[in-house]
Amino acid sequence: MDGPASVARGNGMSKESDGFLSRVSERAKSTRLGNITAARSVADAVRTSLGPRGMDKMVQTETGDVLVTNDGATILEKMNVQHPAAKTLVQLSKAQDIEAGDGTTSVVVICGALLEASLELLEIGIHPTIISECFQIGLDKSLGVLESMSTPVDLENREELVRAASTSLNSKVVAQHASLLAPLSVDAVLSIAGDERQGADLRNIRVVKKLAGTVDETELIPGLLLNQTAESGASGPTRIEKAKIALIQFQLSPPKTDMENSVVVQDYAAMDRILKEERTYILQLVKKIKATGANVLLIQKSILRDAVTDLSLHFLAKVKIMAVTDIERDEIEFISKTLDCVPIASPEALSADKLGKAELVEEVSFGSEKVVKVTGISTTPDKPKTVSVLLRGSSQMVLDEAERSIHDAMCVVRCLVKKRAMIPGGAAPEMEVSVQLAKLAKQLPGHQGFCVGKYAKALEVIPYTLAENAGLNPIEIVTELRKLHAEGLQTYGINVKKGTVTDIGEEQVVMPLLVFTSALSLATEAVRMILKIDDIVMTR
Amino acid sequence: MMQSMPGVPFNLDAVPTVLKDSATEEKGETARLSSFVGALAITDLVKTTLGPKGMDKILQSSSGSVTITNDGATILKSIYIDNPAAKILVDISKTQDDEVGDGTTSVCCLAGELLREAEKLVDQRIHPQIIIAGFRKAATCAEDALLAATVDNGGNADKMRDDLYNIACTTLSSKVLSQARDQFSSISVDAVLRLKGSTNLDHIQIIKKPGGSLKDSYLEEGFILAKSLGVGQPKVMENAKILVSNTPMDTDKVKIYGAKVRVDSLARVAEIEEAEREKMMNKCEKILDHKCNVFVNRQLIYNRPEQFFADNGVMAIEHADFDGIERIALVTGGEVVSTFDSPETAVLGRCEKIQEIIIGEDRLIQFSGCAKGEACTIVLRGANEQLLDEAERSLHDALCVLSQTAKETKTVLGGGCSEALMANAVDELAKSVAGKESLAVESFARALRALPGIIADNAGYDSSELVAQLRAAHAAGKSTCGLNMNDGTIGDMRELGVTESWKLKRQMLNSATEAAEMILRVDDILRATPRPREDRPH
Repeated sequence: MDGPASVARGNGMSKESDGFLSRVSERAKSTRLGNITAARSVADAVRTSLGPRGMDKMVQTETGDVLVTNDGATILEKMNVQHPAAKTLVQLSKAQDIEAGDGTTSVVVICGALLEASLELLEIGIHPTIISECFQIGLDKSLGVLESMSTPVDLENREELVRAASTSLNSKVVAQHASLLAPLSVDAVLSIAGDERQGADLRNIRVVKKLAGTVDETELIPGLLLNQTAESGASGPTRIEKAKIALIQFQLSPPKTDMENSVVVQDYAAMDRILKEERTYILQLVKKIKATGANVLLIQKSILRDAVTDLSLHFLAKVKIMAVTDIERDEIEFISKTLDCVPIASPEALSADKLGKAELVEEVSFGSEKVVKVTGISTTPDKPKTVSVLLRGSSQMVLDEAERSIHDAMCVVRCLVKKRAMIPGGAAPEMEVSVQLAKLAKQLPGHQGFCVGKYAKALEVIPYTLAENAGLNPIEIVTELRKLHAEGLQTYGINVKKGTVTDIGEEQVVMPLLVFTSALSLATEAVRMILKIDDIVMTR
Repeated sequence: MMQSMPGVPFNLDAVPTVLKDSATEEKGETARLSSFVGALAITDLVKTTLGPKGMDKILQSSSGSVTITNDGATILKSIYIDNPAAKILVDISKTQDDEVGDGTTSVCCLAGELLREAEKLVDQRIHPQIIIAGFRKAATCAEDALLAATVDNGGNADKMRDDLYNIACTTLSSKVLSQARDQFSSISVDAVLRLKGSTNLDHIQIIKKPGGSLKDSYLEEGFILAKSLGVGQPKVMENAKILVSNTPMDTDKVKIYGAKVRVDSLARVAEIEEAEREKMMNKCEKILDHKCNVFVNRQLIYNRPEQFFADNGVMAIEHADFDGIERIALVTGGEVVSTFDSPETAVLGRCEKIQEIIIGEDRLIQFSGCAKGEACTIVLRGANEQLLDEAERSLHDALCVLSQTAKETKTVLGGGCSEALMANAVDELAKSVAGKESLAVESFARALRALPGIIADNAGYDSSELVAQLRAAHAAGKSTCGLNMNDGTIGDMRELGVTESWKLKRQMLNSATEAAEMILRVDDILRATPRPREDRPH
């Protein structure tokens, strides 16, 4: 008997009811303590990677792969967290990634600081429900403060967007390339962005990674990049001008039925005939394709049979058709959208109007790596647009990290498309909220004032950590910053490059309002959830 | 075993072993004690989740998956239980869940409190049967008092809506959705009113999409299918005639093992391939004969048929799993077909508009203006999966209660008001009951009063003080007084709009009393030899 009902065999039943009550609350206390400690240890793990001078983590995965990153969401995802409360933090960072795409480290650090504050409050003996409610009040007020200190953004103003993207990129491994990557991300997102309601669907941006050259050779291609290479088995063309592209979903190989079949050969003559038939069959197909005027073929991958054979490649090469195989089924939609063509499922359905047109299709090689580049695509203007980014780097690790960083930067721009307001960076908004909230806390009655005060204090963790990671004296910096904000200088923040407190507004370090509001809301929500838990029950 | 061995003299002192090895028996006091303690352990486990300020539990399964919940039924359903009495409590909570959908924690708590009181009486050497008799009298009296306090707004649609809204608020305030309570109350009331009195919640679909916050959730008219449209399909379809089917669209294979064709030339293989395609195209033609303009299939639709449908202006939706097609068939009034030879008998579903919509980052298909007007979809947004799962459970509870209330329109007041009311009525009764039974009746009242106590405890308030005030208020005739858990005071529940379904309360009272009675009657527990099991975590 070791289930919860095991007390059945216990002793001292006469005192049972009082004894049990106090035991439960003791248990709730220790559960809460355990949860908070576990969650905080996760927060501490990523704390040092916050900010432009934040450190990177090297993560070795189960399979032995090594990953160097500074992205909070990625570190946490790979961390193999066991404890249920700690898992909440991992999900918190993921949620921030989905919602805003950036600030995945900040959200966890804020959550950790809030948990620390709530632990202090619990020790004083304040009921968790009350703490939880006061934190909600703190959050509501903070959002108000943030809203009031934000400045509206005009999407036409490219400069400003680039600055926001740079702020995000500056804290990454690829910071030295920020001057290239920031405008690139802005252009990429703006070219696919819709109106405020639609936002920007980042799935319309295709990032192709190639291990060759360095990050500063990364380029934005207003067209389509295919990771697949042109079939070169029969020395077919690898560069086609004035291309007409057919996206086909059938295969150029000998016929195969769904039912099992076997061709019975009785003599040599029959064998020759079969070989000849195969040639004719494929030749027919190729002729049909040629007849539509297509000179580039994109062929969908099939698990049932070969997409092309040596023979069909040979024929294609002869009629100067470039063939790209192994297109995945889920890429079809993206490609057909980009090229403005219709996928063709059977040879009968081939027709000239289903083809996409482009100025140039060519296979470009960098060292041993190759991509197929389609440029000068003629599309109808009202169609949704897509763009491709060719990302290059000298090692797989740099490449992966660059991809994550560029994703973050694009998310920053996407946030601005969704919610067109910006706030200064450099921990200025955190300090401002903290100072304003502390002022407000003095006017609130009872527990509320006390808890909201703690909430305000907890937000100082961001400037503190930022200074600490930059090798500055955190106490000195935070105190000075607090003083300046108390005097009403809202835009002052930590200038990591100069190592002092300056007017961040002049430094042009900005970030989208949405990143911080979402980080604060999600972190508070997570803390409230953890506070509400009073027991961990093992189940089937 | 020794006794049965020949040659060993029979030992008169030893009781012969009647039961099999490791089967056990507990008798009399021990048995009763064991059931009391088991039931109380369960009660104490769930009671911290009761009320608007109740706490949550993490349920960690041995496989490592984590659930965070406040729902009594979910907690009880998933824990290990090795005590027969505790199982009874789990069962009544399950019944409560099936019957009315909410109040699962309350019913368990009330039964537990009744047993706690009964235990004291047993300690005073009062026979269980007398206690039971007293409990029965008290329960009848409490039920009458409850009925007398009901308000029925069934005839008045506006007031009914207010009632439903209040009930939704009350139910949701104890759940994770409390932060966006007003919004979710409106959503669930709107959803339930669409049902027009039916209690079939299948018409209400809940879609969970991570991202955003709970406040971004909304009620969407019609049905939403979490699939995307095929390439090149029309993206919007008005006045849709929908053929819902479950059929393979790759080939109709002959299902004979080892079926094989032998040919003597490759051209013949191509012909067979062609024939297979023909067959498929024939099937597509037949589907077109149904004069449908939307074709929904449970299985995959391959490239070729998809293109065929696109060319003929038919919207084809593939891989809409079992649940999907059944719901589509239900809400659009169609029937699922899998053969297409008789277009005249197939029933097509209808709806006004089908279009692709975007929720968060995902594309989904919305069917609006469905033939069955009940259909609607609640789109839940939230920070993470756990939150969404819990939100779904909470919403489901609210929907259950609301749909039940829409049928049985009597309502009572919540916030411990009904309990206090019943307790006072039972107290009155105790004065007129002669003999030892009156002690049991008094105990019943105390047990009822313990529920508001737990609610206050969970919110971090002084429960003894509040419950005493509540009792005094009711004795002074303020029969609408209850606990105001926002301020930690007692207040008028009618003004605060804290309303609960009468059916729920009655069900809770009855099943809790029955369960307590059942456990009290036990004087012997026999345990069969347990099946050998592997090590369990505790």
